[in-house]
Amino acid sequence: MRAIQSLLLFALLPFAGCVIARQDVNEPLPALLIKQLQPGTTTARQVAELLGGPNQVVQLGRRTAYLYEASSTKNAVLFTFLMNFGNQDTRQDRLWVFFDEADKLSHYGATYGTHRTQYAMPWEDVHEDSDNASRDAERAGVAK
Amino acid sequence: MKRWACWLPVLFTGCVTAEYSRVSANEPVDLEALRSLVPGQDDLTSCLAVLGAPLDVREYQVDADRASGMALIWYWTNEAGWGAKASTVVRGMSVSFEFDWTGTDLPGCVLWFDRDLKLEFYREGMVGQLVAASRQPSAVDQ
Repeated sequence: MRAIQSLLLFALLPFAGCVIARQDVNEPLPALLIKQLQPGTTTARQVAELLGGPNQVVQLGRRTAYLYEASSTKNAVLFTFLMNFGNQDTRQDRLWVFFDEADKLSHYGATYGTHRTQYAMPWEDVHEDSDNASRDAERAGVAK
Repeated sequence: MKRWACWLPVLFTGCVTAEYSRVSANEPVDLEALRSLVPGQDDLTSCLAVLGAPLDVREYQVDADRASGMALIWYWTNEAGWGAKASTVVRGMSVSFEFDWTGTDLPGCVLWFDRDLKLEFYREGMVGQLVAASRQPSAVDQ
């Protein structure tokens, strides 16, 4: 019986395959430029000149907020005869800038994650702190 | 031996496939940092510094003078689950079935700020439920 199982497993090997794919939406946000933003001073026009048109504009009563975002997705799929194993990892860069009714920047918050995506199998933990820290160190303006 | 052997031709056609997959999107917020926020004391500046940029921002409690607060929403997922696909031909048409054991609502948190942008309160949980629970009917313009 064991011989039959081994033979069957060996026979199935040619049916295995894998796919990796990556999808990026928008350019990663420029962390060094974003650090130039100064609440109380920078205007909506200056933000648009610095970063381009936002991906989203939200009206919040008298205030407005702009969203800038970029995302990176990495997919890895292993096909075997009866089982498929897949992993999809998506991370975003996001910047929200908030303006008062005079269109002056009042607040902003940024998160950078597009450089942290990884190809992996579903049983792997790909976002350990040490992993994230080493990737942050390689991206200008992101490391704390 | 004979029992499984009769299924072999069906399986070779790729009609039945089991799947184990993980979908991971966005970083979870630092829950320790979130729980250190103090409603009434922390404001939008300190919350953004601690938690980074939210995924969504919505109007909250719009007053008659159009001043409003806001709700900031974070959500993420890191879920692995089993699934299965089956496909066959019924009366000349290809039909496929797909089963997925993963959920639809996502874990996250929502922070609500008053019109002066002071943190009013925050909640952790499934974001769909948190947002639905906080949705209030708008005033009707006369």
